[in-house]
Parts: sequence; structure tokens; C-alpha cells
Amino acid sequence: MIRFDRLTYTYPRASRPALNGITIHIGTGEFVLVAGRSGVGKSTLLRCLNGLVPHFTGGTLRGSISIAGHDPIAEGPKVLSRFVGFVFQDPEAQFVLDRVEDEIAFALENGAVPPTKMRTRVDEVLNLLGLTALRDRSLEELSGGEKQRVAIATALALRPRVLALDEPTSQLDPQSAEEVLQALVHLNRRMGLTVVLAEHRLERVLPYTDQLIYLPGPPARLAEEEEKQPVLSGPPRLVLPRMDRTPPLITLGKQLGWNPLPLTVKEGQVFAEEAVSSSRYQASSSNRGPKIVKSKTSLQVERLSFAYDDTPILRDVAFAVAGGEIVALMGRNGSGKTTLLKCMVGLLRPKQGSITLDGKSLIGQETAAICRKLGYLPQEPDDLLFADSVAEELKVTLRNHDLLDTPPVPPSELLDRLGLSALHTSYPRDLSVGQRQRVALGAVTVTHPRFLLLDEPTRGMDYLAKHELVRLLREWQTEGVGVLLVTHDVELVAQAADRVIVLEQGEIVAQGPSVEILTNAPLFSPQVARLFPGTGWLSVEDALIGLGTGKPA
Amino acid sequence: MLDARAWGVWALTVLVAASSTRNPLYVVLLLLVTMAVGITCAPARNQGEGMALPRFAIVAILAAALFNGLTSRLGNTPLLHLPDWLPLLGGPLTLEALVFGAINGLTLTAIFSGFATFNQVTPIRDLVRLTPRAFHDAGVVLSIALTFTPQTIRNLNRIREAQAVRGHRVRSFRDWLPIVVPLLVSGLERSMGLAEAMVSRGYGAVSDQAQPLHTQGLLVLGLLALLGGWVARMFSSSWRMLAVGTMIAGAGLIASAVWLTGRSVSHTTYRGHRWAARDTLAVLGCGLTLVMLLLPVPLTDQSTLYYSPYPALSWPIFDPLIGLGLLGLLIPATVSARIRDRSEDDPL
Amino acid sequence: MNVRRAISGAIYALSGATGVLAFAYPFFMDARSGRSIGLAHGQDAPLVTAILVGLSLIALLVELQGQTISAKTVAMLGVLVATTSVLRFVEVAIPMPGGFSPIFAPIILSGYVFGGRFGFLMGVFTLLVSGLITGGVGPWLPYQMFTAGWIGLTAGWMRKIPTPGSRRLNGPAKFGRWDLGLMSAFAFAWGLLYGVIINVYFWPFAAGLDGQTWAPGIGLHETLARYAAFYVATSLWWDVIRAVGNLMLILLLGAPTVRTLTRFQLRFHFKVYSTDA
Repeated sequence: MIRFDRLTYTYPRASRPALNGITIHIGTGEFVLVAGRSGVGKSTLLRCLNGLVPHFTGGTLRGSISIAGHDPIAEGPKVLSRFVGFVFQDPEAQFVLDRVEDEIAFALENGAVPPTKMRTRVDEVLNLLGLTALRDRSLEELSGGEKQRVAIATALALRPRVLALDEPTSQLDPQSAEEVLQALVHLNRRMGLTVVLAEHRLERVLPYTDQLIYLPGPPARLAEEEEKQPVLSGPPRLVLPRMDRTPPLITLGKQLGWNPLPLTVKEGQVFAEEAVSSSRYQASSSNRGPKIVKSKTSLQVERLSFAYDDTPILRDVAFAVAGGEIVALMGRNGSGKTTLLKCMVGLLRPKQGSITLDGKSLIGQETAAICRKLGYLPQEPDDLLFADSVAEELKVTLRNHDLLDTPPVPPSELLDRLGLSALHTSYPRDLSVGQRQRVALGAVTVTHPRFLLLDEPTRGMDYLAKHELVRLLREWQTEGVGVLLVTHDVELVAQAADRVIVLEQGEIVAQGPSVEILTNAPLFSPQVARLFPGTGWLSVEDALIGLGTGKPA
Repeated sequence: MLDARAWGVWALTVLVAASSTRNPLYVVLLLLVTMAVGITCAPARNQGEGMALPRFAIVAILAAALFNGLTSRLGNTPLLHLPDWLPLLGGPLTLEALVFGAINGLTLTAIFSGFATFNQVTPIRDLVRLTPRAFHDAGVVLSIALTFTPQTIRNLNRIREAQAVRGHRVRSFRDWLPIVVPLLVSGLERSMGLAEAMVSRGYGAVSDQAQPLHTQGLLVLGLLALLGGWVARMFSSSWRMLAVGTMIAGAGLIASAVWLTGRSVSHTTYRGHRWAARDTLAVLGCGLTLVMLLLPVPLTDQSTLYYSPYPALSWPIFDPLIGLGLLGLLIPATVSARIRDRSEDDPL
Repeated sequence: MNVRRAISGAIYALSGATGVLAFAYPFFMDARSGRSIGLAHGQDAPLVTAILVGLSLIALLVELQGQTISAKTVAMLGVLVATTSVLRFVEVAIPMPGGFSPIFAPIILSGYVFGGRFGFLMGVFTLLVSGLITGGVGPWLPYQMFTAGWIGLTAGWMRKIPTPGSRRLNGPAKFGRWDLGLMSAFAFAWGLLYGVIINVYFWPFAAGLDGQTWAPGIGLHETLARYAAFYVATSLWWDVIRAVGNLMLILLLGAPTVRTLTRFQLRFHFKVYSTDA
């Protein structure tokens, strides 16, 4: 039903093609997952499905595409909108109107569907996604997951046969992501809708995937560009072994030679039990723990309470972060994590309680002053970037703090450590997501703060960028910097954090070493922990070492 | 509630009524009518705006009175005598001039009140829906702007916080740069995402082909007629009717150009507003007002409309029939009051 | 094609003339204009001018929409208008002296970077949306929209003025010091002019120049003088502050904003129209 034949596409003014000689077949009713690093061409590939490439983006396209007998290149997005629905990554940037109903009707209006039929279609689509209760609601009030489901509904209004989604869950928290993906699976299984999905979080969708398309990175040597880009496609179990970065379960399975490769924890448990019983395993408690001696500085929060308009958001929160340790702060959406961070840097004033850095209170100080000693990376690092070059961004912060002539850390050194030296004259907003985050990190760490507060730093990032971040955090850790990491990403916590604090409705409900917390809370368990209960292993390295087959860390 | 189109007619009628008379009694009646409609029909919010109207009234009336008194030297009852050597201001300050100015201020207040009511009773969404088909794109721009405004405010706050975190303080104009630029850029980037989403849902420009030449021609002719007629009307009193006729013809030509463009828009509307009986009633009421004010209806004394305090101050005369005509604007209040009573009876 | 351009030009010229006339009518009005149909002595003039301005606005909109407007333009306009309207809230929240309004600078800069037509639409919609949001829909709105539209339109035309030190051959023109100075002066001038124009709308109400029969011989000169007095008394201060505000905004924030907008234009290959207004 969907056929790409030697498709080659180059963006305008780009030096090399984004897609090179791609050939793909997708059958009717398949659930297809498109995987690959950031920037490798997944979005471009998806946009070929409905004609956005090349009609919206410009550039040159060679080869042919056929979707349900139609040619997007010739016919363009307006015609293709009846056959291919598209959902984008950012729930905030897809809606023209304010009400759910009206937004769904927008597509129908464009298609000049007669008004009498419109009502039925809107009802139908709302029903399909379980959104009937939200019909009259304003889109502003909805959660991220609800918004994305509305986006799916709008894409389905014209009854397309294919639904293409470009990383629809990367901006969402785990619960919302689950809602959205379940909705997709339902649509595929019950309605026979062909779904083509680009995702980083493979583990959630692998069990339902019929075909996995993997786009490896561009070839390392120029000479290889003449060849077709090697695209791997086929059933997941065939493609996964040849992929670079895979979810922990799969990686483990590949390393230990499990066959057939398990796609879910349930499938993997059989193999896991066998591996455990047939090898000399050791409990891993010694692998975890602070990697260096903690430094003397500490950031303490005691009995902190905050309320917004009489609604309590934080209740009696107390914890401490010492220099040289990485503490993760986890909790469901709305539990107050971001509020806590904002109180700590002075953006919000707590009702009661104390926040002290090395004994000196931070409450009442100006944010600008606090942030000399506490680096804070906000959820949207792009909010920080406005200068003309990367080097300039660092200088702006220094200038704000009057440290331009006496920088605590030479900016060039910092850029080096962040891996941005080659890009120091680039316009920050032209860079990739991971690079922009590192520029923002540079902008808040150029004052050499002793503590670092990070708010959801891995949203929308692929494995490579996450890996880079963990490396950076560990480097800083060895220098005695304390890190407080607010995140939903369990695997990140498993890899990087020493301690975990769990916040629920503004109160701390659990606090302790990561091994303890992550293995005891089902909501926050990494895959490895669920595979090997009772062993205290959290990451792939832990398991490999514990089973006696891996190298020590 | 009334349809937004009915409200538009109402507001325009208020405007015409206010422009058509200088008799302070009528103007006060008009003002009271608009206030009454505002109080009964507006949703029960906006308490803080209660002071806006009286404040405006006081300022407008005083300022206009004063200004006119100081600059116009007509009238028989001098109150003060300013030295003659003052440029423009010299000469007697007469009571009549003050009164004349005050009446102007009163008129302005009535117009303000009418439009304030209009603003309160029509939700913005409904106004946007009124966009004629020819301006479909404009309607979409409006919708997007309205939808994005709360988001933009949130972005603004977030960006302010983000910049505070790197030591930024807003002290002068220049310090707004780190806030305005990210706001602008993130907004623009979002708009590209939005454009993609719109295109994916079948949004095509109103006319994928360029506009037919005859539509443009109609516009030119229409504008020409409008302009020509107006100039003629202003500068020569003998060809008045012809001039006005040309203007109306010009307006008609432009309207037909709009209609033609609308026809080429291939798109339908979900949930158009249903025109109800109460809307017709309200429009009829407005029609009554217009008729009584503009046309020489038998038994009414049209001359009472042209009150002038010059040369000597006199009491204005009130014709009850014309007053009754003005009450035609009160119909929305009665209609909505009835609805509200009925809905209070309904069990929730 | 040439016919089309001529017609476009005619539409611009005629609507501009209507605007100018609407502005200037009080000075020309014959004090002995007599009665029109049922309305008091020429008191219908403000109403009529509002309608006329409204109609020419409509004509211009139809003309502009006639050219292909892409989804990109629509989305960009919507978002930029939202951003500018939000800035208007800032104007309300932070008490600024007089008539300072931050909405004109973005209109001017957008018109400068993206072209006159975009600037016109931006001006019109910004005034409309900020009017809608702040509850200020009134008979003066067509006037405001029309004038703001022309601000954006003429800002686009300013791009064509060659200034020393700017490359105009191939790539985007550089926004050098001369350009900055030019646009700052432009913004200052329009700050004043906007006030003068909008004030004219209120003047007949407040001053009621008709219906006051005075000695014959009162003509253009006298009327002009009276208006000048009115203006100085009421609104000059207001407008000077607005003009100075515009100047400062462009001077301080203009260059980086133009750079940002230009970069965006390049990145998204965003061209509003293939032929400039």
C-alpha cells in the first residue's frame, strides 16, 4: 500500500541528501515503527508520506512514492490529506482554534464536507479516541496526552487510511505517552488503520510492531554516499540485532544471545531466570554507591511549604544534596517537582521552610544572585538562547553577573568540555536539540556553580544525546558538583543517579539510594530491575557484571 | 443570547442614532438605553469595569465643554471675558459654547457606552465567525492569533524566568532584548509547525489561482465611485443626491467584489449560528429606531432633533414619539431578561 | 501582468487617497453644507468617513488576499500578531507615560523584513486583535486598523531606499547603521502621524465644528488653526511620547530583531510573495 522506490531527497541549499535511494514497502494495516538517531531522516521520511516533502519544504526529490495508489509528489498535501493523517511532535503547535470540537471540524471545513455530515464525523472521531467527554472543552486546559489524542482525532477526521506520527510522545510524561500509544494500538488493531510511527522510546511499542524500519546514520566516508543508504526493514526481531542502540532489555538479550529476542519484560523473564540460575551471579550492591568521597558543600531544604492561591503544592519537603552526588527527583506530573526547583532558585517564595547552601539561607535573595551558585537548567533550554553565537551566549551570562573580565571558568575550556568548541561561532538556534541543550548548560554553568538543578533534561532526546549528558554529569560529579535531577526517565536515573527522592502531591514519600527505590517502586522500575527482581541490578552493565559475563564498570 | 450579527446591527444603530441628533434629551435617553441593555445582557463578570463608563463620561463632557467654550466665541451669554490678545482663545467664554461642548461630550459617551455593551455581550469567538467567506484566510489568522495569545503569555513568563536564572535583570529598554528575541523566535518556529499541521489537514489558500481580473476591476471602479461621490458631495451642494448615489454604487461594487471572492472559496462552515426569532425582533427594534430618527414620519416633529444652544440658551423640546422610537433599542434587554428567567426555572 | 500591476497600484492609490481625504475632510468642509437626508448639519461626516475608511480597508484586504497566501504566511501572521498583542498587555501592566505603545515597532520591523504586504496585514490584524482582546471595539477601529496597515506597508517600501553601506545585490540586505537611523526616524514620524490621524477622528465630536455658524470668511486657514489648537491641547504630548518610544525601541532593539527575523526567513525559505509590494 505504501511504496517508496529509490527515493532521494535533498533539502534546499543542503550539501548532501537527507534521504538517499530509500526503498520501502509497507502493507495495509501494518504498524510500522521508524527508528534512528536524531537528524537521520525519520521526520523527512514521514513527511514524504503526505506530500509535505517536497511541497512544503522545497528542495529536490528523485524517485517515486505511491500511497494507496496516489502520488504525493504530483498531487500535493491538500489532496493527500484525505488519505494520510499526520500528527506532530509538539502538542502546543498544532491547533488553530480553541475548542476541541471546532479543531476537529477544521479539517472537515477544509475538505468542504457538507455541514450535515460534519456533525456525524466529529462524533465518530471523538468516540474512536474516547474523547467524547472533552468535546466542549478548551484546548488550553487539556493535558499533553489529551492534546495529542485530540491531534490524532483531527488527523482522522477525513477518514484517512494511513496515520503518520512524528515522535508524538517525546514531549509527554510517561502516563500520557502510554495513553497515546495505547490509542494508536487500538486504532491499528480494531480499525485496521496503517500506522507509521517515528519514536525514540522503542520499548513501549515494540511488542505491537509489525515492521521496524531503521535508518542508520549517514555513511562515514564520502565515497559511500554513491551507494544507496542502507535501510534496514523487516519484523522487529530481525532488525533489532543489527541496530546500534536499543532498549536495555534488547541490548541485554543481544549480548546474552537470547533467542528468539524477547520484546517485552514478560517474554524476557524466562530467559532471565535461566540466566540467573545457570551462572555465578552476585548481588550488585557494591556496584552502586557514591563514586567519590562527597565534598563538604551541601544544599539543604527543610520543611519547605508552598501554596498557590490557597492550594498547597508543597508540604513539608525536606532533603539534602551533597557535593559530588547525583540525586534524582521523581514523581508523577503535577506532584510539584518544578515548583520545588523554582523555590530553590528564588523564582517562587515559599510560605515556610528554609533552603540553605552551606548553612547560608537562600530565601529572599534575588534569583540572579542565587544562580551564581546554583546552576538551573529550565525545561525548555531554548528559552535561554538569544545571542548570535554560542560563545556569545556564555559571555552574556558572564556579563550579567559582572564576571566578564574574571570568569571563574574560561569559556573556551567550558565549550571544550561540552563538545561545542567546533561550533563556537554557530547560531545557537540552528543546532540540534542535544547541542542546544548543551549550549544552555554552558550558559548556566559558566559561573562555576557548586550545584546543578536540571529540569527534565532528556525530553525528546535520543540515546546518543542522553549518553552524552550522563557523561557530562559524571564528569562534573568527579569535580565535586552536586546535581539534582528532575526527571521521568527511569533508565536515566538507573544509569546516573546515586539517590532517588520520590515526590507525590507535594510530599516526599520515599527517599534513599537508587537501588532501593527503583527496585521497590513498580512505577519507577527500569527494565533490568523488572527482569531480575531481587538482585538490585538497574542497568545493563549491572546485569552483565552480576552474571559474570560483563566487564567491570 | 442574541446572535452576534444582531448585536452588530444594534451597535451600528446606536452609532447612527448618536450621530443624528444634538438634542440632549434624546442623547441622555440613548445613553440610558445602552446602559440598561449592557446591565441586563452582559454576562455577570467584569465587575471592575463598572467605573469605566462614568469616568469616561465625566472626562468627555468636561473636556469637550471646556474646549468648545474656549475656542468658540458664539453665543449670547458670556460668563468670562478672556483678554483679546490670546491667540485663538481670546474673547468671551459663553455659556452656550460650554453647553454645546457638553452635548458633544455626551454624544461621545453614548457611543462609547453602546460599544462597551457590544464588547461585553459578544464573545470574541462569535465575532471571528462573522468573517465573510471571502476573508476566510483573515478569519484563520484571527483565530490563530486568539488561540496563541494565552500560550504566548505563558512563554513570556517562562522566558523571563529562564533569563533571570542566568543573572538577567530588567532595568532598561535594552534589557528586554533577551526576552523579546526568544519569544519572537520560538513563536515563529511554532508558527512553522502550525503551518505544517494546517497543510496536513488540507488547508489551501483561498485562491490557489490568482484573482480574476474582473474582481480587481470591480474594486477599482468601486473605490473610484466612492471617492468621487464623496468629493462631489463635500464640495458642491447642488449635486447632492447624485453624489450620494455614486457613493452607494461604489459601496455596492466593492460588496460584489467581496461576494465574488467568497464564491471561489471552497470550504464549508461547521456550526453556523442559527438565526432565531429573538434576533429578528431585535433587528426590527433597531429598524424602528432608524425609521423614527431618519425618516419624516407623520405626527413626529423632526425639528426637535436639531437642537442648538445658539444664539441663546433654551430648553430642548422632547417629542415622545421619537423617544419611543429610541426605545426600540431596548428590545435585546427584554428578550434576554426573559431567557434568563426561564433558565433559572430549569433544574440544573 | 502589467495590467494587473497597474490595477493593484490603482487600488493602493485610491484607498490611500480615501484615507488622506478622510483625514483632511474637516479642513475642507463647507460650513454651509446644509442638510443631508435626515441627519443634522453634516454631522454624518464622521460616520461616513468611518464607513469609507472601512470600505477601502476591505478593498485592500480583498486585493491582498487575491495573491496566493500560503499557510506559512497565515500561521506566521497569526503568531506574530499574538506576540505583538501580548506586548500590548505589557504596555497596560507596566505603567508607561503617555501614548507609548510597543506594538508599532514590531509592525514596522515585520514590514521591513517581510515586505509591505505582510506589514500591511500585520498592522491591520494587530490592531484588530488587540482591540478585541482589550475590549476596545468601537467606531474608531477601522481608522486604527487602516492607519496601522499603512504603517506596515510603508515600512516595507523603506527597504527599497538605498542607504550607504548596504548590500542589495543578491542576499538579504544588511541592516547597517544608516538603515537603523532611517527606520528609527521613520518610527518617530509615524508615532506622531498616527496620533494626528486618529485624533482627527475624535475632533469633530469634541469640537463640533459644524452646526456653529459663524461669520463668513471662515475657511481652511481658520479651521486648520483650530485643529492645531485642539491637537496641541489634547494630544501632542501623548503623541510625542509615542514617537519617542518608537524611536527608542527601534534604536535599541531594532538591529537584533531584524537579524533574527532575517535568519528565520532564510532558515524556513520563507518568502511571502515572489514580487514585492
